[in-house]
Amino acid sequence: MFPGVDGFHWTFGHVVFLGLFFAVALTIFTTVVRAVWRSVEDFRSRRATAICWDLEFAGMPEAERCCRHELAGRVAERTCPNSFDCRRCAEYEKFAALPASSPATSFGLDYPAGRLYHRGHTWVRPESDGTYTIGLDDLASHLVGKPDSVELPEPGAAIDANGTAWTLRKGRNEVRVRAPIDGTVVETGGADRGWYLRVRPEGEPNLRHLLQGPEVTAWLSKELERLQIQLGAPDAAPSLADGGILMDGLMDAMPQADWDNALASTFLE
Amino acid sequence: MASYAVADRRWIERGVERTSTLRFALWLVPWALLLALGVYAAGLCLRFGLNQTNMDNRFPFGLWIFLDLSIIALGAGAFFTGFLVYILKFKELKAVLNTAVVVGFICYSGAVGILMIDVGQPLRAWFTFWHPNTHSMLTEVTFCITCYLVVLLFEYIPVLLRNRQLRRVPSFLIFEHRLHLLVPVLAAVGTLLSFFHQGSLGGLYGVLRGRPFAFREGIAIWPSTFFLFILSAIAAGPSFLLLITSLVEKVTGRKLVEFSVLCRLGRISGLLTAVYVAAKAVDTLAWLNRTSPSLGFAPWEFYSYKPFGTWLMLAEIVLFGLVPAVLLLHPKTASRRGWLISAALLVCGGILLNRFILTVQTLALPTLAFDEFVSYLPSWQEVASFGAVVAYGVIVYSLSYRYLPLFPQEKREGYRVSGR
Repeated sequence: MFPGVDGFHWTFGHVVFLGLFFAVALTIFTTVVRAVWRSVEDFRSRRATAICWDLEFAGMPEAERCCRHELAGRVAERTCPNSFDCRRCAEYEKFAALPASSPATSFGLDYPAGRLYHRGHTWVRPESDGTYTIGLDDLASHLVGKPDSVELPEPGAAIDANGTAWTLRKGRNEVRVRAPIDGTVVETGGADRGWYLRVRPEGEPNLRHLLQGPEVTAWLSKELERLQIQLGAPDAAPSLADGGILMDGLMDAMPQADWDNALASTFLE
Repeated sequence: MASYAVADRRWIERGVERTSTLRFALWLVPWALLLALGVYAAGLCLRFGLNQTNMDNRFPFGLWIFLDLSIIALGAGAFFTGFLVYILKFKELKAVLNTAVVVGFICYSGAVGILMIDVGQPLRAWFTFWHPNTHSMLTEVTFCITCYLVVLLFEYIPVLLRNRQLRRVPSFLIFEHRLHLLVPVLAAVGTLLSFFHQGSLGGLYGVLRGRPFAFREGIAIWPSTFFLFILSAIAAGPSFLLLITSLVEKVTGRKLVEFSVLCRLGRISGLLTAVYVAAKAVDTLAWLNRTSPSLGFAPWEFYSYKPFGTWLMLAEIVLFGLVPAVLLLHPKTASRRGWLISAALLVCGGILLNRFILTVQTLALPTLAFDEFVSYLPSWQEVASFGAVVAYGVIVYSLSYRYLPLFPQEKREGYRVSGR
């Protein structure tokens, strides 16, 4: 194989054969090393979370990638091409200027107007000291009820929008709650305190990707409809109960339901 | 059991339906038993040597080499589909690319596994790399197959890392993404390697001057069998992929790809089979009228030993070559599932027959005046090892189908149920 090793000959055929073999082996090796190197670079430059989210978003069903402007009735049908990141949407201004139509009710759920909402069912509230409080929205809280355990990041840890903010465990289910904004965690809360994280973003954050106003109830309506289908009996026709509000601790009340699928859709897995 | 089922469900892709954990486990049991028996038989061969087989110095190639040649040819769908998708931009074949990679990986790893038993002293297998005889076709085969198995491994890893739970690990997901972006490079390397090792496997027989039944003339250092093996492998690869996909659709009762994708695979296979049959016919005529007589043998003598009569040659070229080529190319038959699958079966059967003839018939025929026609029947250890490779393939494919996104369209179909 190498000069000096028994069987090696300085002949044209031998050198060409081994030269080709080493070229191929080197190409394979370089390709894999390049993939590893680029992966390391992605983590170093903090692009990893955004890439992961883009990949996971691309794998989500089309029905769950519905544009906020479709939810708000501004366009008939539109699938989001920007991984729910309206900050990089070139058409945002055009659609946002159109009148929105949305249900007048919030279905008995508490969605205060002063908060902004992420599609992964978290809310964000700006505080006077420049920090932002993050919590689980009312629909998600009604579903999960009291979690068995919560794994929060340590103060000082950095979170990236659409990356994992914290983890909830309920029964056999583990839920990754997505961060609605970038920032550094300054304080942690919990289910009992009504909020989970307080973060300080670097500079003034652009919150255009978060839902607000009439978009929220329209999105909520769509989410409740999806849950009805996912949690209903497999052979039952979709039906909407008239009146009534979502009970608290739905996971405890319906232990046999397909929570694996429902939680994945709710928390954008 | 319920908790196992819940845990198992979490590893299965969202939006796709899979059979229950219990049924899946029951499906795997017989294959696992067959695999265990084969591993035991292989252990006997490694422990006590090749005297556990019915091969000897007169008949050194048997069931295992037939298996190697066959599965390497059928596994050609992996490199050829990669070549069609990444190099020639046949976008619609992306629907079967993942399954092609898995099938290719199974075929090549199975072939290398059986070769490790077949070489007799696997601890010395590295000699072929360290002290290569570059004049041997087998050296080229060894180098290319080893390199290509590594390529297939790195093509399989992105599919593996797309598993629902594995992709929750950010570093896995990022590496999968980065490796996936570089897969066209691996596909190009795989194409180069596959052309050479498929060809060299055929060349191996074509250079056997002492076996005039197999010996062929050719171009430069390559006998005609070099080119025929490449052609037959790329003709059979898409047909095998078509068969596997149809079989999985039948077993699971789910639509996995559009029928047009199967038709496209059929057309590609039909076209290449037609070219192969034409080349094979010319090669056979040249051998009958020139090569064999020039070596001092009347070619028809080779067909006087039962059961290897001329019917075998005609069956290989007409029944398993011309007929499926016509069926796959004729618009009426090529657009009907039944005909399509039957034709693909014939193409794959033709490959198996061709590799059987070149391996078994070649060695069975006498070539010297004092030589006799030799019969060979594999020992149970050989058959069990053969079965183990089949069982290994079924198990790996079943696990891959259950837990990995082999057919992207299946997920879209599943979601349509609750779509907007």
